[in-house]
Amino acid sequence: MKRNLKETAWRIIIGASLLAGGTSLAVAHHSYSAFDMAETRTVTGTIKKFDWTNPHTWIWIDVVNDKGVTETWGIEGMSPNYLARRGWNRKTLNPGDKISVTLHPLKTGENGGTWVDAKRPSGESLMMGGAITDP
Amino acid sequence: MKSKRQIRFAFFAAAVACATVAVGQKVARKAPTAEDWTALAKLPDFTGVWEAGLGGGGGGRAGGRGAPPAAAPAAANGPAAATAGRAGGRGAGRAGGPSLTPAYAAKAKEQPAAPSAEENLTANCLPPGMPGIMGQPYPMEFLMTPGQVTIVIEAYNQIRHIYTDGRPLPEDPDPTFYGTSVGHWEGDTLVAETVGFAQVPRGITFPYSDKMKIVERFHLTAPDTMSIETTIVDPEALTAPYSMGARSLIRHRNWTIAEYICEENNRNSVDENGKAKVNLANPNASAR
Repeated sequence: MKRNLKETAWRIIIGASLLAGGTSLAVAHHSYSAFDMAETRTVTGTIKKFDWTNPHTWIWIDVVNDKGVTETWGIEGMSPNYLARRGWNRKTLNPGDKISVTLHPLKTGENGGTWVDAKRPSGESLMMGGAITDP
Repeated sequence: MKSKRQIRFAFFAAAVACATVAVGQKVARKAPTAEDWTALAKLPDFTGVWEAGLGGGGGGRAGGRGAPPAAAPAAANGPAAATAGRAGGRGAGRAGGPSLTPAYAAKAKEQPAAPSAEENLTANCLPPGMPGIMGQPYPMEFLMTPGQVTIVIEAYNQIRHIYTDGRPLPEDPDPTFYGTSVGHWEGDTLVAETVGFAQVPRGITFPYSDKMKIVERFHLTAPDTMSIETTIVDPEALTAPYSMGARSLIRHRNWTIAEYICEENNRNSVDENGKAKVNLANPNASAR
């Protein structure tokens, strides 16, 4: 049901944009239809690897599940181009760092999602969509 | 005194040369002189790195065409909001859509919803053609050299060349993603006309013909603000020129264009049925 509503919303948005004009300049690299954008969840664990790569950064986190088994989560982030203009660099996240990441999960149920925000144990918040810090 | 045969040969050679220009787009360019370089300084200075405001290398504000995540409550700080951002700045004067000729209105009805198809192919790292490539949520660098304005586009590492050396538009260009662009100056405004478009995803949501021409007017509205007004002309598909409105770019004097190799670590894809997928296999695939 939720999905149907979302699809309806999509169609309305597309319809509105077609009415507004015959062009759509702002096309992102991909749609977010693989992710459940209505759901959020938080995973807490240890950074295994931080891919400072295009078209997206990927944050790999080892998370111990409720059965005591370590699972690796893959979380998609913004591109390094985007993040570098917002104070990030390739060393912002390092293997071994503890972190809690809030994400929109993959619809497949696999251990992955798209980054919403994150916190370090110190309470430091890690946002990807902040203001440009390099004017 | 030339013989008739020599004259005939001269005509033949000239005809071959003209045909080469028309078909192969091979325009011989004279070497720039010191005067040519000096003359550049009299033109408005477009050089430097520009972005569409409100974002810079990623948008930063949900909105724009309205990708689904823009409506998701938690998206404001995530990649979703950022990439869905208002890449093209504010579109002014977009009252109403394009006015299609009856034949193309019929084609439009047959055509599947364009936006999903557009996203499919960029997810697979295929860059959008013109004019979509000018509205990506990443900056662009303008270079000015004698007889040419070059636009280096960060998204997908793309380049456009606008020839301002007085050459005509090609008559029968090969259809391409970005077309062939020829520009001239009208006062302080660079007017670029582009023709020769392949039927590839390019951010145009109506059917268009091989006669389509895109006209862009670039001018500075403030020292570090540029307006780009884009109009689509298509005598077969449109009953009147279609204005996409004007967009505003902001110059960042201390920015440089970064590398964007989409194939480096692309885990997104869309299959032949339009289904988006994410590949989580082998986290160690990327070396950095």
